Amino acid sequence: MSVIERLKTMATKSPWIYRINAGSCNGCDVEMATCALIPRYDVERLGCQYCGSPRHADIVLISGPLTRRVLDATLRVFDEIPDPKVTVAVGVCPISGGIFRESYAVLAPIDQYFPVDVNVPGCPPRPQAIIEGIAQAVQIWRERL
Amino acid sequence: MSSQIAILIAVLLFPGGLFALALGLGLKGADRRIAARLQGRVGPPLVQPFLDLVKLAFKRTMVPTTAHDLVFLGAPLIGVVSMLVAAALVPISGVYSPAPALGNLLVLIYLLLVPAVVLMLAGSSSSSPYGAIGFSREMALMMAYEAPLVLIVAAVAVRTGMAQGHWVTFSLTEIVEYQRTHGLFLLDPVMWPAVAAFGFFYPANLGIVPFDIPEAETEVLEGPLLEYSGPALGLFKIMSALKAVVVIGLDIALFMPLPLDGVPAFLGWVVEMVVLMVAGVTVLRISMGRMRIDQAFVFFLRWPLLLAAASLAVVVV
Ligand code: SF4
Repeated sequence: MSVIERLKTMATKSPWIYRINAGSCNGCDVEMATCALIPRYDVERLGCQYCGSPRHADIVLISGPLTRRVLDATLRVFDEIPDPKVTVAVGVCPISGGIFRESYAVLAPIDQYFPVDVNVPGCPPRPQAIIEGIAQAVQIWRERL
Repeated sequence: MSSQIAILIAVLLFPGGLFALALGLGLKGADRRIAARLQGRVGPPLVQPFLDLVKLAFKRTMVPTTAHDLVFLGAPLIGVVSMLVAAALVPISGVYSPAPALGNLLVLIYLLLVPAVVLMLAGSSSSSPYGAIGFSREMALMMAYEAPLVLIVAAVAVRTGMAQGHWVTFSLTEIVEYQRTHGLFLLDPVMWPAVAAFGFFYPANLGIVPFDIPEAETEVLEGPLLEYSGPALGLFKIMSALKAVVVIGLDIALFMPLPLDGVPAFLGWVVEMVVLMVAGVTVLRISMGRMRIDQAFVFFLRWPLLLAAASLAVVVV
């Protein structure tokens, strides 16, 4: 393995996570916060860290059905995240709209607007599922580095 | 010529440069891991800060269109260079004393100001409103903690100077030498208020909870660092790792240089460093919430200033 390859593998041990709430009911956000913030599902041991600024992020977690109102803001924030980045859609809302699917105000599925790499279904998904989604995202990220 | 090479080695290899960087990253890693353990988590590996740096090197640096490029990208460089020089200025008792040509305590105090100024530059040049808030908070906090620092340093300098027959001495080497022969200032009741004041100063200078007001993630989204990404952000991480070594090294040199020589002295120094980091940073960080900027301002101008002034007054009289 060349030095660069080795460094890239090291780099994947430090995924920084950013959350975008695209009109979620907050159920998914609570689960995402739970993943990192309580001792039981400590993801810091994987090197993960929640960051406040999109510019520091590597992995984006998007939750919610993408309401019409937040479309522009969400796209702008998404563009602020430097490459290489990986997108994880959390919850059933981003996939189909979930319980909001018949509303005139939602634009789900969100992969019409964002390049979604990993889907984590559930309403809301369990923390273990979200962690697994992050782990898959790290593998995809490794290929993009 | 050879003295110039010695200075170059001191700045780039030991005790500044690579050594200080490795030590600083190690301290940060230990801090994160011990904090996790105290909260009942497993925590990241010790080398996590190093892995973060490698990661940042692979990311793209984005410059906001409204930012001033030169200042925006130059600021972190200035910060790192100032801290490299500062790290070479800190003596290690029995192992290393800085060359007089490099500078003395006064130079070190000025260099310690540079990271705060650099963060202000970064915040204001990024043209982000959060950066601007971070800028004003950084400035207020700096004015608050700089005053006690000056008095602490004056107390130590006058104490050593008077004992040697002149008024003050600003040579860190002399201060360390004096304590090696006459006993540590840590054990001297006159200096206890100053030691306590320094205990308040260094968490503020290192920007950790409860004094991380300029970079508060949950309110101003890391303030001045908000717009930085990739290698430029990595430089800021390097700067703060070096700063941890410089500030804690200064604490050790001012109050508790071990009267040992050679390898034991060096190991003792590293142990002191880790203990001060864990006691003063990690435990404080996880046991407190963040202060408001006005609270921190009043706090610093009340307690640490008073304590440092008390030491200075007793020393002078
Ligand atoms: S998937 Fe369920 S919990 Fe998550 S945002 Fe949608 S409705 Fe809320």
